Amino acid sequence: MENDELVQNMLLELRRGVIAIAVLSQLGKEEYGYSLLKALSDLGMEVDQSTLYPLLRRLESQGLLQSDWRIVDEARPRRYYVISPQGRKVLAQLKKEWSAMTKAMQAMLS
Amino acid sequence: MNLIDSYVTEVGKYLPRRNRSDIEAEIRSTLEDMLEERAQGQGPASEAQVVALLKEYGEPRKVAASYGAIQYLIGPRLFPFFEMVTKIVLAALALGLTVSFGIGTMRSGMTSLEMARALGNLFLQYLSGAIAAFGNIVLVFAILERVLPAKEQESMKDEWNPADLAKAPNPDAIKPAERIVSILFTVAGLVILNGFPQIIGLYFFTDEKWTYIPILSQAFFRYLPWINTLSALQIGLDLWLLQQGTWKAAARIAAIVLKACVIAMLIAMLTGPTILRLTSASVAGTPLAEVFDQFGPLLNYMVTPVLLIAILGTLVEIGQTGWKLVQPKPSLPLEVKK
Repeated sequence: MENDELVQNMLLELRRGVIAIAVLSQLGKEEYGYSLLKALSDLGMEVDQSTLYPLLRRLESQGLLQSDWRIVDEARPRRYYVISPQGRKVLAQLKKEWSAMTKAMQAMLS
Repeated sequence: MNLIDSYVTEVGKYLPRRNRSDIEAEIRSTLEDMLEERAQGQGPASEAQVVALLKEYGEPRKVAASYGAIQYLIGPRLFPFFEMVTKIVLAALALGLTVSFGIGTMRSGMTSLEMARALGNLFLQYLSGAIAAFGNIVLVFAILERVLPAKEQESMKDEWNPADLAKAPNPDAIKPAERIVSILFTVAGLVILNGFPQIIGLYFFTDEKWTYIPILSQAFFRYLPWINTLSALQIGLDLWLLQQGTWKAAARIAAIVLKACVIAMLIAMLTGPTILRLTSASVAGTPLAEVFDQFGPLLNYMVTPVLLIAILGTLVEIGQTGWKLVQPKPSLPLEVKK
């Protein structure tokens, strides 16, 4: 029981940074919040909406994303997000770090 | 108003005003998307589906909280100082009240019931004083939290050099705790002198209640505009120093000028009419009345040495500040190559 809570907290910390990279990686094309949530879920990454939306705002305030409200195909107004030029540069660096990190971790855990 | 509107409005209540309408619109849009998908084109969603969706989305306050940065009244960088100052002030209050209780009860020959009542009274006095002091400390620190720049965070971005550890302490560095304590005591002094000057006096426990004699004379209040101005300038200087993080020549000159003004005011107090008022009429009915003939004039004369000591202390401070202004900067004892 005690360990369950510990593991949950550690997973939460682990996922926090990973989700940011996942979001940046999926916003090469425009997505609105809910479509991004489903896209991430389809790829095997379940993200809670209460985590995703504040994260999108944070990434936008850091200049890594751009967004605007639009009506597409006569649907309701939605806020569309896309990665910014600065976000692309940051993502490229993060990808490199991620590869090195996963390689190192695989070596350690195998 | 439907359930989704009510939910969004409820979340909005806890959102920061600046982004509220934008976040509300995004939550509404997401909820409608989710609902549409769940209804799968079979007409409008049922109320049960809406309820289930909102339950899943989360409790409104929790949802709103996920958007907000952590809001501090007093943040982690000032909290250790806040804790220290609070402990000092509460301990000083306890000490002051206990001493005054001791003096007040020493010669009154109280019964044990009276003593118990006096102790109860003392406890209530401490409680109300402690709450007021705590409130004022929180207020001052909450203001400091908002006016001070995040120096620590800025400095954390800089490249850190272990050679800095070998350097002698910087004589120009500001000690934030000293400045904060100075601001707190100046504010407390201003509040007492302007709002409750009558409480500065001698306290006695007689007839099962506390009585006190105000001791400040009318002449003292002539100096109040000066005291207020100098105190405001001192607070301004302290805030400026906290913001700068280091003593610069201009700040030292300002401190010397300010202290010189304090000395001028103390000399005026010393040479002008007495700032304490203690007459046989004012002590009538107190334990002091019996011994006023012997000790009354002595108490009135005490003001001169106290003012002289204050002038001397301020002169020493001017000397120290002046010396730091003119002395050459110490060279570093050790240089470590990077």
